[in-house]
Amino acid sequence: MIKVTDLTKIYKTHIKQKNPFKDVFLRKYKDIVALDKISFEIGENESVGFIGPNGAGKTTTLKIISGILYPTSGFVSVEGFTPFEKKPQFLKQIAFVMGQRNQLIWDLPATDTFELQKEIYEISQQDYKKNVGELTEILNCADLITKPVKTLSLGERMKMELIAGLLHRPKIVFFDEPTIGLDIFSQETIRTFIKQFQEEFKATVILTSHYLEDVKRLSKRLIIINKGHIIYDGTLKKIIEQYSVEKRVTITLEKPANETELRAIDIPISYTFPKVVYKIKRSVLPEKIKAITQNLPFSDLSVEDETIEDIIKTFFKKNK
Amino acid sequence: MLKRIQKNLRLFFLYSRFTLKTTLQARAGIVLFLAGKLFRFLFLLMFIFLLFGKTKVIQGYSLNQALIFYLTFNVIDSLTQILFREVYRFRPLVMSGSFDMVLLKPMHPFTKILFGGIDYIDILFVIPYFCLVIVFFLKTIPFPYSFFTIFSSVSIYLLFILNSLVLACAFHITVLALGIITTEVDHTIMIYRDLIGLGRFPMEIYKEPIRSFFTFAIPVGVMMSFPTKALFGLLTGPFIWYAWGISLSGLVFSLILWNYALHKYQSWGG
Amino acid sequence: MNTFLRIGITTLKEYMAYRLNFVLWRLRMFIGMLVTFFLWFSVFEKQAHFGIYSKNILISYILYSSLISTLTLSSRVAEIAGQLNDGSIINLLLKPISIFSYYFSRDMADKLINAGFAIVEISIVVFFFKAPLVPPQNILLFLPFLFCGILISFYINMILSFIGFWTTEVWAPRFLFYTLVFFLSGSYFPLDILPKNIYTILMLTPFPSIFFIPTKILIGQIHTIPLWQISISVFWVFILSRLSVGMWKQGNKNFSFWGK
Repeated sequence: MIKVTDLTKIYKTHIKQKNPFKDVFLRKYKDIVALDKISFEIGENESVGFIGPNGAGKTTTLKIISGILYPTSGFVSVEGFTPFEKKPQFLKQIAFVMGQRNQLIWDLPATDTFELQKEIYEISQQDYKKNVGELTEILNCADLITKPVKTLSLGERMKMELIAGLLHRPKIVFFDEPTIGLDIFSQETIRTFIKQFQEEFKATVILTSHYLEDVKRLSKRLIIINKGHIIYDGTLKKIIEQYSVEKRVTITLEKPANETELRAIDIPISYTFPKVVYKIKRSVLPEKIKAITQNLPFSDLSVEDETIEDIIKTFFKKNK
Repeated sequence: MLKRIQKNLRLFFLYSRFTLKTTLQARAGIVLFLAGKLFRFLFLLMFIFLLFGKTKVIQGYSLNQALIFYLTFNVIDSLTQILFREVYRFRPLVMSGSFDMVLLKPMHPFTKILFGGIDYIDILFVIPYFCLVIVFFLKTIPFPYSFFTIFSSVSIYLLFILNSLVLACAFHITVLALGIITTEVDHTIMIYRDLIGLGRFPMEIYKEPIRSFFTFAIPVGVMMSFPTKALFGLLTGPFIWYAWGISLSGLVFSLILWNYALHKYQSWGG
Repeated sequence: MNTFLRIGITTLKEYMAYRLNFVLWRLRMFIGMLVTFFLWFSVFEKQAHFGIYSKNILISYILYSSLISTLTLSSRVAEIAGQLNDGSIINLLLKPISIFSYYFSRDMADKLINAGFAIVEISIVVFFFKAPLVPPQNILLFLPFLFCGILISFYINMILSFIGFWTTEVWAPRFLFYTLVFFLSGSYFPLDILPKNIYTILMLTPFPSIFFIPTKILIGQIHTIPLWQISISVFWVFILSRLSVGMWKQGNKNFSFWGK
């Protein structure tokens, strides 16, 4: 159970002055409000996605909830603990996996790092063997754990990071940009893994990502942060319903059609024979579909939601 | 409490084992480092011999005594390098953001960032250094040797070496704290090394006000000269109290600073 | 010519951006110089001569060699090893300028600013501790030897950095080298207080050319240095330059330019 009330975080950065003496000895500071009185609650076994532009405050929020950063003001409680105190019983229940950041010992095989984790988190030998076995099986990488980490590719290293980070079966897992910089196959592997992990081990998963595909696949609830404020806190489904205004209709033509025929339905976004793509408002979708089926020589027709990126863009536009 | 100490001790041995594995991977590097350290030691040793070849006494100290000052410096410097080598890697750890991962672990961060990288090369050196101290010490006291004199002198010497290590620990923790608080100072640890380098020779060679400054303001003299002076029986009561007072209060101060630094930590690479 | 001036100015500007770091660097150098200075000062407390050296000459040697070693040893060339390691050397390779010219300009800027500060530091020591300083002499003879010293140090640094083409362990050889240079070039003591045979062998190596020989000329002791010493210094400049250029060419052929 995570409870955050009126959380504020202000960063101090120093303003560089022209005068070198003043710059060193009489510094001027500027306050940057990273989080401005945000509040939310997350329950057991929830899966939440935090999204927002760069510098919005997503990572700051995660770092405060996990105890890395000290809040300027406000109330934070995780499983009854104050995170910043970093009590061992608290730390044993959480895990923080950061994309592109590693905690593996570079020159040695991953198993050495796992052994360290075992000791740090006080995992019994039995549980240790079982957890390593299960995780390597899900990620299909049992042969990689004995190779020096520096010889692995980025995707393989990420797998090792995941095992090292989750070896102690945490109740709450924070994923900070877990798929950043990975190729599409590795991204898919990580997404599948996180989904499977959450379902099997019933953990609370809190995720930040710039890839909305991550959020779409892995989070039921969405919290959108912008400039230190929460501007949306609800289900992903609701935001799609509220802000998805248009649907993409893709038609595959049997034979070329002339422009006037196509434009009679609507102005297409793209037309490269045999594919025509329309963006049609939901309100008029039924009649437009009818018109297409009656007037155009098509062999295939598909209707899709807008991409989640477009929906979020619309959301931001409407909530300036 | 005891369980926590036991756990952190176990972790210390685990980190040390892994550091050994990593160190052994760079074999050519080890040989060259060994050679470099050996050369440096031998050159300065030769330099001191040269100096005393034409000057029988410097500031009241004979050749053997000057050698013991130099050797003691090396003993203490090696011991601190052995224990606190990991502090040199702290800045890169913070800059890359990997320090967050250390903070998140249910163990005291010092287990990793202060004691987590034993320097095995210096272990090879510290034993011969110490043996040489004993050899030259025996040359400075009159024959026949009294067991009691040797025992009491060496005991008080070791006690002061311990004091120097406490002081060094306080220095290193302060360096860690500064590594979090300030972003501009990359050299803090290197400055520390240059400052204690002043302790290679007896503090008497430095003119005032430098000498007092480095005994009282920045206690290099306490750290490097006092053990040798205690060995020769040159330290009086007030100085002994002063030495321990400085090291213990230094340790307390450094821990308070560290705590403050954690509160101010703003994290990087986010 | 303009390009090199520009490179120099850019290097200086970098220093301005890292002001505090630079000041602390100079503080470290100052402390190192102080130790040697005080040690010799103490030696002369009870006696007026040390071997063939009088107090004035030896103290002058220590102070001048500190300045000259700043001129010869200060270098940015160590960056190259890091650039080889992370692949950013590519940026340099694609520029229409030789890496040797580029780094030489960079180094000259580095040397000049460090030397400027060193002069201030030495003045402080002379003023506060009444150090006896012999006025500089034989400037005309001094300058070419200084230049040889600068070149020798430059090429050795390049060679140490080029080791990065073949292995990631560049710090260890560099550490070993600096230790050797520090003692064998005469920064703690003038080399001729060593026993005669050691001294003769040492004079055949490139190390004394780096600052021992130029300093001796500056303090007016050229009569102690035989004329054929010039040819040894020039010989080393030649050998080291060929070696470093050769390593650069060979390294380029074998290198795979990977990054992180």
